[in-house]
Amino acid sequence: MRRPSSVFLRCVDQVHGKIGFGATGPFRSSRLHQHSILGGIHVNDIIAAALNAAQLAGASYADARIVDTSREELQIASGVVEAVERSDSFGIGVRALIDGAWGFASSRTVTADEAAHVARHAVAIARASAMVAGAPVALTPVEPARGTWSGPVGIDPFQVPLEDKLALLIAADEALRAQPEVTLTKAHMGFFRERKWFGSTEGAMTEQSVIESGAGIVAYAIGEGEVVSRSYPNSHGGGWEQAGWEYITRLDLVGNAPRVAEQAAALLSAPFVEPGMRDLIIDGGQVALQVHESIGHPTELDRVLGEEAAFAGTSFVGLGDVGTLQYGSEHVTVTSDATISGSLGSFGWDDEGVPAQRDYLVREGVLTGLQTSRETAASIGRTSNGCMRADGWNRIPLIRMTTVSLEPGTWAFDDLVADTEGGLYIETNNSWSIDDKRLNFQFGCEIGWQIENGKLGRMVKTPNYTGITPQFWGSCDAVCSRDYWQVWGLANCGKGEPMQTAHVAHGAAPARFRNVQVGVGR
Amino acid sequence: MLMTPEEARALARKAVSMTHADEAEALVAAESSSLTRFANNRINQNVAEENALVSVRAVLGKRIGVASTNRLDDASLQAACDAAVRAARIAPEDPSFPGLPGPNAVREADRAVRATRGFDAEARAAAVGSIVAQSSGRGLSAAGKVRVAEHTIAVANSLGVDVGQALTGAQATVLSSGADSGSGWASFLDADASKLASEALGAEAADLAERSANPGSLDPGEYTVVLAPEAVADIMDFLAYVGFSAKAYHEGRSFMSNHIEDGVMSEQVSITDDALAAHAMGITFDYEGQPKRRVPMIEYGVATKPVTDSYWAAKTGWDNTGHALPAPNPYGPMPLNMEVAPGTASIDELIGSVKRGVYVTRFHYVNVEDPISVLLTGMTRDGTFMIEGGKLTRPLKNLRFTQSAVSALYWCDAATKERKFVGTEEGASFVPGLLISKFTFTGQTK
Repeated sequence: MRRPSSVFLRCVDQVHGKIGFGATGPFRSSRLHQHSILGGIHVNDIIAAALNAAQLAGASYADARIVDTSREELQIASGVVEAVERSDSFGIGVRALIDGAWGFASSRTVTADEAAHVARHAVAIARASAMVAGAPVALTPVEPARGTWSGPVGIDPFQVPLEDKLALLIAADEALRAQPEVTLTKAHMGFFRERKWFGSTEGAMTEQSVIESGAGIVAYAIGEGEVVSRSYPNSHGGGWEQAGWEYITRLDLVGNAPRVAEQAAALLSAPFVEPGMRDLIIDGGQVALQVHESIGHPTELDRVLGEEAAFAGTSFVGLGDVGTLQYGSEHVTVTSDATISGSLGSFGWDDEGVPAQRDYLVREGVLTGLQTSRETAASIGRTSNGCMRADGWNRIPLIRMTTVSLEPGTWAFDDLVADTEGGLYIETNNSWSIDDKRLNFQFGCEIGWQIENGKLGRMVKTPNYTGITPQFWGSCDAVCSRDYWQVWGLANCGKGEPMQTAHVAHGAAPARFRNVQVGVGR
Repeated sequence: MLMTPEEARALARKAVSMTHADEAEALVAAESSSLTRFANNRINQNVAEENALVSVRAVLGKRIGVASTNRLDDASLQAACDAAVRAARIAPEDPSFPGLPGPNAVREADRAVRATRGFDAEARAAAVGSIVAQSSGRGLSAAGKVRVAEHTIAVANSLGVDVGQALTGAQATVLSSGADSGSGWASFLDADASKLASEALGAEAADLAERSANPGSLDPGEYTVVLAPEAVADIMDFLAYVGFSAKAYHEGRSFMSNHIEDGVMSEQVSITDDALAAHAMGITFDYEGQPKRRVPMIEYGVATKPVTDSYWAAKTGWDNTGHALPAPNPYGPMPLNMEVAPGTASIDELIGSVKRGVYVTRFHYVNVEDPISVLLTGMTRDGTFMIEGGKLTRPLKNLRFTQSAVSALYWCDAATKERKFVGTEEGASFVPGLLISKFTFTGQTK
């Protein structure tokens, strides 16, 4: 489906929700599952068959992943069911290195014979890669990973009756339709389960499992020649966490629906923002997307090295910028953290078997690190900080964000507004675009309010803003405190060819930026 | 070995027979694909995939459930069929659901090319070598891909729909970049991999990269633009997504809503969806197994009709044009074989007609700011030039545009005679270059 995917998977569907840190935290064990069995299939034996075949065919390194995923999607639109769907996918992928060049092959047939065939195919492809080779690929060292890990989950959403899920969606959808101006409503719920086994010729053998849950509602008010929307808890798919059904109930979709509908109705008669330069306070959800696009992607080392140039683009960041580039103001500190319980960006090991880590990308405004892989990390004189993830059994791992967060500041939100003489407060993304070096961006939001004399005033509709990345982050003079900080899950970050969709996350709180261009093209 | 259309149809019929519901439909989508990716003048990623998916839609009265799996053993298939029925049993009724469509004759088309099936890893590497040599020999850096794929699609349902088709696709893209901020782009798409002229494609991108070195500034404002086909295809994508669907029309979200028979674009603009054209790529039936029909959506600037599927045809009273996406489909029907009518000029003649304007090779990261006016924002990329006195005079740093696509096409003055396929074999637009007299740039990168 090129049309939907080309539109929706350009980069991001953002989703969010507060992260729980309860008793159901992630589990990581050094216990080795020598004989993990899935439906009668001895997955470790199959991985071993693949690795043996790759080595026999001449691979200097190989790894194999078996991935078993299930999804459930439910959507109600204006009282009518648009989707009740369950999908399952299962397969094996083998990555092989020979003569310093990569090959990868994959199959939906998970048997020892097929695994060996896939491995030999991967080696043959790697030999072809060597026909147009550069410097041989070298992997930075890592202790072979062995053990199991699972994400936090309270109530398994796949065990919750469909009736209960649909009843909640129908109630939320109905509550959205309380306003006559709201003529189109949507309520959505999704669940994702992944079990993954990884082994390498270096001796790694891991098993990981995760469950993710997400939900959201949208109210559309449609006037003559105009559509405005209001979403909760976020646009583009709602909120997502590594969690179970308890996350869905915590969102309280039904309780939030009347406010969402009222705001959508009010937006129809609200004015556009006057074009010009404004001091801008951006809500946490939009700050999360701003971090994603203008800090997360440009600090992926494969982009910096030009490896993604033809599709997603490169980066304005250069290799020599680490330790010197003034990325933003002193208020801007950004971390990459795969250890936050409940975040979509968390795991035990990445898809190269590198353990989950927390690392600084920007410290008090200065670029201090990049997101790396075993292949790329040596270019900045480091070892991998564990950012390689693949979208399923049929894709190779790429450098993907984990939880890339703007660390909290010290401000209370009300104090920040009171400290802003004139400006604009905006919430919830509805449009995003950034250039191929991640410099010139333009974002649109669903709603905004004028700030006049330190108070929120008149509502404005679909405010947008534009800027250049380092100047914009340089204009950040305040970030709200941890009380206002939350992790926002983004379940649809696109990258790579063939396209891959990563589940990532961003911690963010409302923040203020001075003198930003708003109202572009209105 | 990828399953044949006959095998896929048999599998679809089997899934239908295993689905114990009032009505049932099964879609089989099998794929064998390989993609060789290159960057920095070397192959950096090289992947292959074999997959097959069976998706089952079960209908109980007006209740619908869908389940899919890529495990094709009997037990897994039965589990998917049962899951679809369970979902249908619980789903609320959709009073507007008209039932699954019955069988209708589908035009057969042979769109699977043997040469593409045989385009193996060595052939792809050889093609990459030819492409890369055009950049490396000039001190430039090439990145891109060479991809081949074969697909088998089949649909069957309990009312007698039973269709299948194989198709192939070969695609190559090249980005050539220089140290002095110049970059150029070239692309290829065809069902037949043997038509890939690697050296020429590499040279096209490298030429553009050399020509666009040391780009300069341009003030924001309204300009005349000449859009190369790649840029035009991006605009078509978004018109299809937010404008050409009967669902968007019915919900009042389309620029065509309440404007059928109105002149909404220039008389120079005609946009048709036509999967049946001799030159078209893709399948000739939709994902409900219904024949795709030729649909003129814009005729000489006049909004004529959106595309439909069985659901939206029944709901609106229009004919079913055969544009269903796989179920469940919250997007509504979608045109996947769009064509923009050609003009009579060459791209050089379009450029030659412009006193002062901008030439755009392609766009990057386009998104919708307002769906009804199809207000888009995005960047130019890989070859943006100032046009002065009918000539490309100097390269420009990438520009940001914030522009209604409908309005841009209202100000379309001419199109090229030559057209090009852009996209993938499953959904490619066949588009010319366009001359547009009013197009708004709102910023520029550093």
